[in-house]
Amino acid sequence: MSHIGKSVIRHDGVQKVTGRAEYLADIKLNGMLYAKMLASPHAHARILRINTEKAKALPGVRAVLTGKDDNAMVGIYMVDRSALAQDKVRHWGEAVAAVAADTEAIAEEAVRLIEVEYEVLPIIFDAQEAIQPGAPQVHEQAESYDYIKGVFHPEPGRNIANRTKVRRGDVDEAFARADVVIEHTYEQPQVFHVPLEPHGTIVQWGAEDYVKIYSSTQSPFAVRDLFAHSFNLPRNKVEVIAPYVGGGFGGKSGIHLEPLVGMLSKRCGGRPVKLIPTREEECATLPSRQGMVSKVKTGAMRDGTIIAEEVEYLWVGGAYADYGVNISRAGAMTACGPYHIENVKADSVTVYTNHVFGTAYRGFGHPEVFFGIERQRDLLAKELGMDPVELRLKNLLMPGKETITGELITENTGRVDQCLKVVAEKLKVSEDYTAAERAEMEKTGKYRGKAAAVLQKSPAMPTWSASSAIIHMNEDGTVHITVGGVDFGQGTYTVLQQIASERLHIPIEKISMAPGVNTDMSPYDWQTVASRMTVLCGNALCDACDDLEAQLLEMGGVVLRAGKHELGLADEHVYVKQNPHQRVSYAQICMGYTYENGNAVGGPMIGRGKCIAQGLTNIDPETGQGKTALDWTYGAHAVEVEVDVRTGDVEVLHMASCMDVGRVMNEAMLNGQVVGGVLQGLGTTLSEAVYYDAEGNLLTRNLTDYKIPTFKDLPGNLDVSYIETPQLDGPYGARGVGEHPLISITAVIANAVANATGTEIYELPLSADKVRAALRQTK
Amino acid sequence: MYAFLAPKTLEDARGFLESRPNLKLLAGGTDLIIGLREGLVTPDAVMDVKQIPALTQIRQTEDVLEIGAAVTVDEMLRSGYLSGPYHALYEAGEELANILLRNRATLAGNICNASPGGDMLPACLVLDAWVETIRPDGGRRIPLREFFMGPKRHVLASDEMVVKTVFPRAAGKSAYRKKKRIRGHDLAQVGVAGLLGADGALTLAFGACGPTPICLDVFDTNTQSRAEILDAAMNGIAPIGDVRASKEHRQEMARYLTEAVLDAIEEVRV
Amino acid sequence: MKAIQLTVNGGAYKVFCPEDITLLTLLREHLHLTGTKEGCAAGECGACTVIYNGKPINACMVLAMEADGAVIETIEGEAKDGVLSPLQQAFIDCHALQCGFCTPGMIMSARALLDENPTPTRDEIVHAMEGNLCRCTGYEPIIRAIEQIAGGAQ
Repeated sequence: MSHIGKSVIRHDGVQKVTGRAEYLADIKLNGMLYAKMLASPHAHARILRINTEKAKALPGVRAVLTGKDDNAMVGIYMVDRSALAQDKVRHWGEAVAAVAADTEAIAEEAVRLIEVEYEVLPIIFDAQEAIQPGAPQVHEQAESYDYIKGVFHPEPGRNIANRTKVRRGDVDEAFARADVVIEHTYEQPQVFHVPLEPHGTIVQWGAEDYVKIYSSTQSPFAVRDLFAHSFNLPRNKVEVIAPYVGGGFGGKSGIHLEPLVGMLSKRCGGRPVKLIPTREEECATLPSRQGMVSKVKTGAMRDGTIIAEEVEYLWVGGAYADYGVNISRAGAMTACGPYHIENVKADSVTVYTNHVFGTAYRGFGHPEVFFGIERQRDLLAKELGMDPVELRLKNLLMPGKETITGELITENTGRVDQCLKVVAEKLKVSEDYTAAERAEMEKTGKYRGKAAAVLQKSPAMPTWSASSAIIHMNEDGTVHITVGGVDFGQGTYTVLQQIASERLHIPIEKISMAPGVNTDMSPYDWQTVASRMTVLCGNALCDACDDLEAQLLEMGGVVLRAGKHELGLADEHVYVKQNPHQRVSYAQICMGYTYENGNAVGGPMIGRGKCIAQGLTNIDPETGQGKTALDWTYGAHAVEVEVDVRTGDVEVLHMASCMDVGRVMNEAMLNGQVVGGVLQGLGTTLSEAVYYDAEGNLLTRNLTDYKIPTFKDLPGNLDVSYIETPQLDGPYGARGVGEHPLISITAVIANAVANATGTEIYELPLSADKVRAALRQTK
Repeated sequence: MYAFLAPKTLEDARGFLESRPNLKLLAGGTDLIIGLREGLVTPDAVMDVKQIPALTQIRQTEDVLEIGAAVTVDEMLRSGYLSGPYHALYEAGEELANILLRNRATLAGNICNASPGGDMLPACLVLDAWVETIRPDGGRRIPLREFFMGPKRHVLASDEMVVKTVFPRAAGKSAYRKKKRIRGHDLAQVGVAGLLGADGALTLAFGACGPTPICLDVFDTNTQSRAEILDAAMNGIAPIGDVRASKEHRQEMARYLTEAVLDAIEEVRV
Repeated sequence: MKAIQLTVNGGAYKVFCPEDITLLTLLREHLHLTGTKEGCAAGECGACTVIYNGKPINACMVLAMEADGAVIETIEGEAKDGVLSPLQQAFIDCHALQCGFCTPGMIMSARALLDENPTPTRDEIVHAMEGNLCRCTGYEPIIRAIEQIAGGAQ
């Protein structure tokens, strides 16, 4: 292999380091108008009156919209949100009205002139209270909403947007015979994605309903599909262009501002309208990651065998379901982590509340599930007096065992046990500190502790999720690849270039990919989410390369007067295997071959390829049994922390992470995913949290009070390693890994803090403030 | 929409202060420009003070250290003057935001923003600094200990402008310690400055521990134990809980940081 | 509207612009230099870092009018004659970027640091870069890219 596994540099580096890469905000169109939104100052309130007269009268204002106007209903799985609030607002910061004007300044001024009269309603903020019978409802008309029936299971009248159940064995019987039963509740706040580039969109709703959408999106085809669905348009009249995208982390999947801006453009006679939310709107008006309250009850035998687990996951979904309903479903599928447990009862519920609404976030529910599950494993080990690594090894899913949804684990699935052993060994997690070290800790008040935790994730996507790829040759035998997935920094396109280079025997510099996606020109791809690109898009490209290879061999055979089986590809040539000097270059045949007398045969070569998730099933609505995982990527983290018990500061001294990626495709980019994901996870663990006041007003409104890690917040060191258990249906054995590094970071740090201080913390973030509070309570 | 004014002399500035009632002063702009963008302040005119040469000076005389209102925090840090008893100012400046903002933010701006947690303020208070102002009809000298009225509120009149911050000659050793939510740039959850004179007199000041920065003087380290000083100091502050820290955490950290400040400065004692 | 003159990447500009816009808006909307990005408009993220009279600053925290007479360097001036600067090349070689949105600001902060101190230590790099946020890379490869240049200078 000459290219697979190499740290090939990224395809778009030059554009990005020169500032030439064009992001949404950098696009200007002739006649373009600027939009601004008016946000709700209340978390829950009835809209009594909106007066837009003054705004409309302002010179330069071209359109003012409120929920009373044409209003589109949107929602990727549960159609429960209107582009502008209708009748009532359900979270602080919800868009109530919008303006399009000649300049941003005029639009801003117009928004300030809109008068809204509200009747404040009691807020619904506690997920456990929200699901009680008789609780006030966030959505009074929930039963009328359209949703994917059979996949999601809302419970109208209970603030429940979806419930997913897993039932396996008999938990009651098992708890009754367990030697030990422990039960804990874990709480996690919402967190923000904080891509450095905010969302943004330009929509031009032209005559005869031809709609052109530029959007900073991970999901151009989903935007097209959902936009067309909202407005009942044929798909071929909606064109979606994703330029360079400045980070997404799940927050730019699905559909967001496009319908609102589309309506404004339509109102303005088809002039393009641009809307880029401010960072404040990015926090309040655009969705976040869901919060979560998880209750985990675990039954085990004295020897450490876990025989039963019952979990209730209440996801604080906020005002609208968005991806939340599918995240709770994904959470149910992974409810007990990568463990073999015979008796399981899981209820995973997305609860409507008056928080900013939740959406997909790197890890898609798994980081939230694993905080509780991997904390619970350490707590069980403590209860049993066992080494937590030992306890995990005793229960981990191994080939021949089944997951909680009845999926058989094979030799090819991946080895979570090896990941755990690697990191535990690297940081000597099971070794105690010496007496001298302990004495030093006592003296300084800085207590060190270690822990390890495992993780798993499958894509958690619809059973029919598909990708496609087109590869065409230029006159000189260079190659251009087109796909419908977005490379917003993760490096997919570079890996695709490596694959094509390997398959077609062409130097990588001769393989190009245009930045961005255009749904009118790019082949279909479901969405750039779920760590699925290397696998599904990579497989689609392999298929396209096969197609092109067949064409090269066919034309080569004509020219070389040989059968396909006698030919090979090397060095940008088709050659005769037995007599390699008999060969013809790609350049000579890729646009057709011309004989000396001028006759030409063949024609331009274009390879096409496709891939759809194989063998996935819907799950049984009562038991959750079924096959939902295309591939499981396993991993583990180990950490050593130092807790200053006087200040509550948690310092991460050492970390080790190991992932079973199947096959390392590009080591430097893989490291980029792991190092970046781990730091994002450290943010979730130590500082990031969305806070509200008692009235439901958002307090963390910007980056001044929502603190993400900086250059000064890196862990002491991070040792990254990989295991390569090939995924037989992945390209070159690879499986997805984009989201995984972030999973279980919260748990492993909290476990290490407990190991260091003896204090168990059940709530995130582990800010110095909260750690001190916990220490105060236990001392 | 506001007009932009950039006077080149104090006299011109004074003229604008008189003629433009709804005027906002711009030094580093790191607070003002956010306020302008969010519509929190809506002046008719913004007056940039950085073109006035007198305001860009930093100088030390026998008696005082003067820092002009347009001097950036970074320029202060590089001036070489913030040593010895003024070391707390250096430490506070190093802790203020990050290099990009220190290249813009000014001491006078930090003072006039009057945030209870302003990083420079506790150090200014323990050093007994005052500001000198101009107004259409003159000017005055205002001790910082009488300057702050509440969160983002101060005693300046709307037609008054700070031209410099002045630190009297000081002796002893000073320090500033800050607690924040992350290790990188952040506002202070609590900030504590202390100045210990050679005679054992100790002054402490606290940021984000009340509606204004709080200055407590003067303790006598010759007669009071550290515990007594800490207890008295903690009785003198009144932190609240907010999005940045709980009340309890602020109380604990105020005490912890006070100890850290004392650890840093007390070796000066004879 | 008011006229101001300034030098950007060595070129002299005379611009008529509103008095209430920031330097960032001036650069992006009036001079069409869109390499400088807006991430927060509040001085928190560093995506709009430019070198302003020799110092790295957030362009969102400067009013355009203040820049009358200023000398400014932006990302567009970093590559010379179509050739990447060693710093830009180091960012690519060290995989110091992913989505790329923070990258222009990162490079300008690093440029300012290296101009003043060609051989910064790791601590000095971290201290100088603190105001530039990145959500993708975990920062480590950015530090390596700058260290690579610093090492080369030694």
